[in-house]
Amino acid sequence: MKQLLQLKLGDLNLGSLNTAPLKRPYVALMMDVIGRGLEASSQVDANIKREVQKLPDGFMFDMRALPSGPCFVMEKNADGNLSYIGSEAPRKPDVSLKFKHLNHAFLVLSFQEGTARAFANDRILVDGEIAHAMKLVRCLNRMESLILPKFVAVRALKRYPQLSLKQKLAGGGKIYSRLAKNLVWG
Amino acid sequence: MTKSYYEFFCPVKIVAGNAALEHIPHELRTLAAARPMIITDKGVRGAGLIDHVLGAFAESGMDVVEIYDDVPPDSSTTVVTQIAKLYRDSGCDSIIAVGGGSVIDTSKGVNILVSEDGEDLTAFSGVGVLTKPLKPFFVVPTTAGTGSEVTLVAVIADPEKGVKLPFTSYFLLPNAAVLDPRMTLTLPAHITAMTAMDAMTHAVEAFTGMGKNPISDAYAVSAIKKISENLMQVLNTPDDADARLELAQASTMAGIAFSNSMVGLVHSLGHSLGALCHLPHGLCMNLFLPYVLEYNLAERGDVIGELLLPLAGAEVYARTPAADRGRAAINTLREIRDELYRRCKLPRSLSETGKVSRDQIQKLAEMALDDGSIIFNPVEVDLDDAISVLEKAW
Repeated sequence: MKQLLQLKLGDLNLGSLNTAPLKRPYVALMMDVIGRGLEASSQVDANIKREVQKLPDGFMFDMRALPSGPCFVMEKNADGNLSYIGSEAPRKPDVSLKFKHLNHAFLVLSFQEGTARAFANDRILVDGEIAHAMKLVRCLNRMESLILPKFVAVRALKRYPQLSLKQKLAGGGKIYSRLAKNLVWG
Repeated sequence: MTKSYYEFFCPVKIVAGNAALEHIPHELRTLAAARPMIITDKGVRGAGLIDHVLGAFAESGMDVVEIYDDVPPDSSTTVVTQIAKLYRDSGCDSIIAVGGGSVIDTSKGVNILVSEDGEDLTAFSGVGVLTKPLKPFFVVPTTAGTGSEVTLVAVIADPEKGVKLPFTSYFLLPNAAVLDPRMTLTLPAHITAMTAMDAMTHAVEAFTGMGKNPISDAYAVSAIKKISENLMQVLNTPDDADARLELAQASTMAGIAFSNSMVGLVHSLGHSLGALCHLPHGLCMNLFLPYVLEYNLAERGDVIGELLLPLAGAEVYARTPAADRGRAAINTLREIRDELYRRCKLPRSLSETGKVSRDQIQKLAEMALDDGSIIFNPVEVDLDDAISVLEKAW
């Protein structure tokens, strides 16, 4: 599985395939998954709840690939959780995380480049309050540590947290169940 | 440890050395400017440093048209608007900032307003809002530490909203940084020490952080060597112009390094401590530097070990086993701090500041986690980690 994943991602990342037809839909799909995953995580995971609690009411953020690539928009709702809005922001988001190119989003969302490394490599622009952006990065990291298999998560994170198998399965399970529930019931 | 991609950018002309100030009129002319305004503060003017700049214009066929000398320690939008009006009323066409971080940031704000013909500075806050070159802008640093003369950011307080506005644009970079030893010659010992350790931290974090790259490394290593070799010399002989110039150059080089590689946990903790306890930035850097390096040592020991060469010299480096160099580099920094404490009482721990209470540690750690520089620290930091470093720094 691990080798297969690496092979496929490697194929997609060849220079000649920079505009591969699969990249855009892959990034769009992953952004959708992350958006919905964050929504579910903010409802069930205590750590993410704590971070979201510190964001202002009505706080809105998006993540997008410049100049007109895939995007997802989230908002802090009245219940204090994150709501997945979709791919169109109804107003200028308070924080915008912008990949400079679709390919850079692909590198991160295919776990070939971690989030912190992407920041260090100048792949991502942050427009808005940095303190809020840091909270969002921590939410993303926490979610990734719970829902991704460890061999994938270690590529995305600077440090994989100390999680027992029980914690991992319980945390990830809760998020996946809530995700399914949200998808079915809205 | 290299990275697979990096960016490096520094278009600032460095005008450095003996009689550097006298080059300003010529440099202005090359940019088609002839009516400069000086922006400075009372301390700089009181120390007679503006006289050096004005003297440089004698026999140059050019005059300084206006001087504003009341920049406060924390730059604000109100002051920026006031200076911009003075600039326009006097028909100026260029800006010379003479001072430290606040004067330079204020001048960057003024340059935005006068170049964009705007009244409301807040409209230009954020990343990449500016889209065209600004008026000719020179910086003459009067401390050797901040590196603001080569950075593309400015932070200016909005007193009405009670927030600090960040401005980030390549157009904020000065056209020239003028390093003249006369401008730092009278800097008191404790400020010399504090600002030098600020520059040292810029260089060390640039070299050990996630954003390090081959070009920023070269600047960082040279900066560390210059500071190690000249700081005590300047404290021993404050009027040693050559050693003063070495520190000024080191500060600029460290500024170039960190603005292209970013900084890490020392700055995250230092920004929080500065904001919460109102301690000077350089003091905070000096305080946290070894503790953060110790935190990073296990994962970054090889990179930290490379710093032993510029910190302690070739002989020490050669006789220290490779595996011990990281620890030895940290010990060398500790020795420098001990010497600075002995000479200037520059605090080495939170308790030595006398201005921090132990119950503020939790808050400091929480604030540090929200600081943008933490993402560039080579080792992940969570709340418990930050608290642990702060406890060690107590």
